[in-house]
Amino acid sequence: MVSILRRSLLGIAFISLGGCVATTYTMVAPGTVTVEALQVTPGEAWNQVPPMLSPSSRRTTRVWTRDGLLLDRLVIVPGVPDGEPIVESDRKDAALPVFRAGMLPNEIEELTESSIFKLFGEGGVSVNTSSLRPHRFGEHRGILFNVEVAVSDGPDYKGLVGSFIVDEKLYMMMYFGAEPYYYDKHLAEAEAIITSARLSGKG
Amino acid sequence: MASSRSAFAILAALLAAPLAAQEDIDHKIPPGYVPEQGPDEKGIWMEIEEYEKAIQQSALLVKDPDLNNYVSSIVCRVAGDYCNDFRVYIIRNPGFNASMTASGVMQIWTGLLLRSRSSDEVAAVIGHEIAHYTRLHTLERLRSVKKSMAAGSIFDFGITILTGVNVPVGQMTAILNVLSFSREQETEADFLGTRMIAGAAYDPHAAYRIWEGVIAEEQAAEVKRENPGIFAATHPDAAVRAKELKAWITATYGPPDAELVSNIEHIEIMNRHYLFLMEDQLDTNRFGRTEAMLKRHAEIGIEPSLIRFFYGEMFRQRGQEGDLTRAMDAYRHSIEGGAAPPEAYKNLGYLHLKNDEVAEAQVQFRKYLERKPDASDRAMIEFYLDEEW
Repeated sequence: MVSILRRSLLGIAFISLGGCVATTYTMVAPGTVTVEALQVTPGEAWNQVPPMLSPSSRRTTRVWTRDGLLLDRLVIVPGVPDGEPIVESDRKDAALPVFRAGMLPNEIEELTESSIFKLFGEGGVSVNTSSLRPHRFGEHRGILFNVEVAVSDGPDYKGLVGSFIVDEKLYMMMYFGAEPYYYDKHLAEAEAIITSARLSGKG
Repeated sequence: MASSRSAFAILAALLAAPLAAQEDIDHKIPPGYVPEQGPDEKGIWMEIEEYEKAIQQSALLVKDPDLNNYVSSIVCRVAGDYCNDFRVYIIRNPGFNASMTASGVMQIWTGLLLRSRSSDEVAAVIGHEIAHYTRLHTLERLRSVKKSMAAGSIFDFGITILTGVNVPVGQMTAILNVLSFSREQETEADFLGTRMIAGAAYDPHAAYRIWEGVIAEEQAAEVKRENPGIFAATHPDAAVRAKELKAWITATYGPPDAELVSNIEHIEIMNRHYLFLMEDQLDTNRFGRTEAMLKRHAEIGIEPSLIRFFYGEMFRQRGQEGDLTRAMDAYRHSIEGGAAPPEAYKNLGYLHLKNDEVAEAQVQFRKYLERKPDASDRAMIEFYLDEEW
């Protein structure tokens, strides 16, 4: 989380200097929300994080939070094509793992684990996934699994990830919450959003 | 051959003059030394205390007594009378690093264990860090940090060491500037550290051999690091350093053994902890480095079933042409070796699925669940065992 944290603080500093409109949080109201080809249905209001505060995200990725980016976040990744990573980095030597259309559940789990390892700051973090299980996202077969992230100088995080592949594209929803308290606080809502995600027009 | 020998002789002669002086390098402080705190240094020492507390509370601190006893015993054997001056913390990080604070807090990253082929090589890095401490380099560096950060806090600098290498570049550069030991200090630590390990009956040749391994890994890397990390960036060029050390050590202690031989204690400790150590390395997604590591582990005699399992993991995750077959072979060899982790069966099963060999996949999946009945992914595996899918 360190790199995210530091970048976020830099971002905040920049905003306060520039007062740029495009960098403000926006509210996500309860009800069905379309993120590219993905439909999710929050039951409560969330705050959509401005892209500047989430530089590791793909352009189409949406990041939401309830209590603040460092305490909880819901990451919605719609349609990663074959050969592309699920997170981004401006470092040429980041060695980001990439999605492959033929990936099986264990490989999506590993792809996620390694991506989170990079996202939270390689070397300053230990990531473990568990409880890989099947889940249906509408008509599409997919998976759910749990994540635990130990960060060297921050709180521990727990998370829940849902994912499925349609037409060689990866769809992923990740929820992280700081331990103790914040993970449990928003788990029910986050789990409902993740498990009810659908491909728009097809689910 | 003759020309390379004479080239070596010339090099040795060139090095002889500065190297002779290295014999005089000795500890500057006695055991039990407590640095006198300057009148304006109270804050900095308090921050160092806080830093140690942060390490103690870090989620990445390895608390396993087996690993801690192993590393601490090497520290004490190398440190001799200085043993009680150090608190040793093992940090879960697959990078290559060890560090020391002016208060005697020594950090060893698990990546150092992954790259050491014997207790001698672990001892060599530890000896180097202790030499920095007893030559007062660490204290001098701390004071220079304080000077350059007069208006700020050094706590951030401590956190950065804890965090590893992946911080914003500008900040990293600033920190490296204040962190650097001088080239002279590094050389002093190399020579005094080597004398210390030789005095503790470790193989002095380990002092450059650890670097040779790191150089080989760097050459094998598919993605080179833009910033080679704190340890490499603040230390003299590894190849030059290894060459200089080798010449001096060979002249002082005689030639190295023809073959590198590890020691049973090191191999056994690696075997007992290999799974978690290598799983962190796999998460780096750096296949060239992982493969170089696995080659070295095979050379020193780490349990072949475990090494083959990770070859399987590496090939499968790399996914280049032919890797699927290579991975399947590696898992099979791991299983044949008799000490494969249950995941070897599971991941072999998944590869059968990729080949549309459902029946073969199910055989492996059943074996996985037999060996790991409480597997957390049982629901996923049972899904694939269900004939309906």
